[in-house]
Amino acid sequence: MSNTVINISNVTKDYRQGELDVHALRGVSLTIEKGAFIAICGPSGSGKSTLLNLIGALDSPTKGTITVDGKDLSTLGRQGRSHLRRDRIGFVFQAYNLMPVLSAYENAEAVLALQGMPEKERREIVMTVLKDVGLEGLEHRRPDQLSGGQQQRVAIARAIASNPAVVLADEPTANVDSETAESLLDLMEDLNQKRGVTFVFSTHDHRVMERAKRIVQLVDGKIASDTQNQGDV
Amino acid sequence: MSGPNLAKIAWRNLWRHKRRTILTLISIAFGFFMAILMTAMQDMTFKEFIDTAARLGSGHVVVQHHEYQEKPSVSRTVRTTEVREVIKNNSRVVHVVDRVMGEAMLATSHDSFGAAFLAYDPEQENDMSLQFIEGVVEGEMYRTANDKGIVLGKVLASNLGAELGDKVVYTLMDKNGELTAGMGRLSGTIGTGSPGADAALFLLPINKAREVLGYEADEATHLGLYLDDNRESRLVADALAPTLDDGLSAASWDMIAPDLNTFVAMKKGGGVFFLIIIALLVTAGIFNTLFMSVMERMREFGIQIAIGYSTQQIFRMVMWESAFLAGMGLVLGVLITAWPYSWLSENGIDMSAAYAEQDVSVGGVGFNTTMPVGIYPENAWLIVACIVVATMAAGLYPAWKAGRVEPVESIKLV
Repeated sequence: MSNTVINISNVTKDYRQGELDVHALRGVSLTIEKGAFIAICGPSGSGKSTLLNLIGALDSPTKGTITVDGKDLSTLGRQGRSHLRRDRIGFVFQAYNLMPVLSAYENAEAVLALQGMPEKERREIVMTVLKDVGLEGLEHRRPDQLSGGQQQRVAIARAIASNPAVVLADEPTANVDSETAESLLDLMEDLNQKRGVTFVFSTHDHRVMERAKRIVQLVDGKIASDTQNQGDV
Repeated sequence: MSGPNLAKIAWRNLWRHKRRTILTLISIAFGFFMAILMTAMQDMTFKEFIDTAARLGSGHVVVQHHEYQEKPSVSRTVRTTEVREVIKNNSRVVHVVDRVMGEAMLATSHDSFGAAFLAYDPEQENDMSLQFIEGVVEGEMYRTANDKGIVLGKVLASNLGAELGDKVVYTLMDKNGELTAGMGRLSGTIGTGSPGADAALFLLPINKAREVLGYEADEATHLGLYLDDNRESRLVADALAPTLDDGLSAASWDMIAPDLNTFVAMKKGGGVFFLIIIALLVTAGIFNTLFMSVMERMREFGIQIAIGYSTQQIFRMVMWESAFLAGMGLVLGVLITAWPYSWLSENGIDMSAAYAEQDVSVGGVGFNTTMPVGIYPENAWLIVACIVVATMAAGLYPAWKAGRVEPVESIKLV
């Protein structure tokens, strides 16, 4: 059985921004294994967020194919992509990740509720993941009653609650202070090691790159380097 | 529970901007208040117009000679005993009266005037079938169908220079076209609310009129049928027509009094137009609230779609917000409308100052200067339905727009 969770083959992404044709990705090929803790990094405009959006089935490539958890994204319609995101992909965005009218518990259970999981089962899973991300006792608080770091922990809890094939984290440490960033990274590293959760980061935060097991460097929409982390980033 | 509780999320979303939501609810409630009161004024005012016309004329539905409507004449009559047999099984008809109507020349020792007469049996009549807005101004009504009294409109009495107890001679053509005359003593004068009628109407005991006209004991120009609900007039007339003998016809009040019918139709049309304006204003307010609310949450919708919410779920969530606005707006509307409606339906609206000395009649029928207030239940439900439909319609575009959010674009919005 293949250990590959994401396979990107010769992917190109062009779009038009005003009067300009932007070539965001130019023939990117990449394979990501289960249990990876990988950082896609590069300067602004290098195409890292675009690549994450394509992997997350939020956008479609101009050319090339992307397979996530064995599913060729080009064969999926709007609903198929929606179901794939719900069932097999977890998302952590930069900030304002959560639904402000829902409590930490309700945000964390959102994906499970979308899957139609019975409430009792859901409750068990959500309480476990909230405990795992260090939010035990804060489950009834709404986002505006939580710190930025705690909000990101709720987002991580939501992302891992459904046991997805991969968690895509777009600049997850961009809007928090250093101490919080370190603790979030500790948490995600721990989840990767103990639960085997696959994390793919888009980042230019050196702290993330230091923790990543593998670093893919994008420059001008192309992979400039793809290295196993030796801890000297 | 399985699946996300979209109603719960929608409910909480509404209260993120309390002031905006409350203002929207007030606008829905005020729209409901206006629509209910306006319709209530119209419903009861028109009901009173029509009922008054029926009281002074020949009922909500009239059975008459089939040519009477085109060529009114005392020679075109109906035998009421037979028709009463046909009508008695119709549960919508609550009261039936014989009436003889025609024209005559009135003369006293002072003067003479032409006038219309209405001959009736006081023992057949009640408040539903015959009631004069100002009532008896002077003297009293005659009490039996054979009474020797005659009652004149108050202006007619004045024009004739007639005093109570004076002889009044009426000259008219009888059933066979022969000139004939009768005499009565002035027993009273009445006010109808219509200056025109007060100057040209007199009342006769029906058997006296029959005697002068050469009628049989059950012969009349009209058989007047009264209903609890005048809106059923056409229905009753249509049902009755095929059961009548050849030579007779059944006509509803709107056919008998086309002027009044046109007036009511025009007023109703104006009322509907005004209600449409209210509905559009309320809808625009709700649309504005929902659209602003949706535009402020584009990033949030993007994230919801990214984590697996479907387009339909986002659409339904926003539509739930519309539904809650409609429901709460209606509840608030009922609360602010209940007391004023209750008070007005008991007391009416006194318009006497507004009308002052003006003629308060329509199509020759006088009406009360206290405007009655009351709404037909089906019209109240129609208003409720219109508000729900308008609110839900106002939510359609914002809901559609929310469901069509592209996560890639919207997630960039912070």
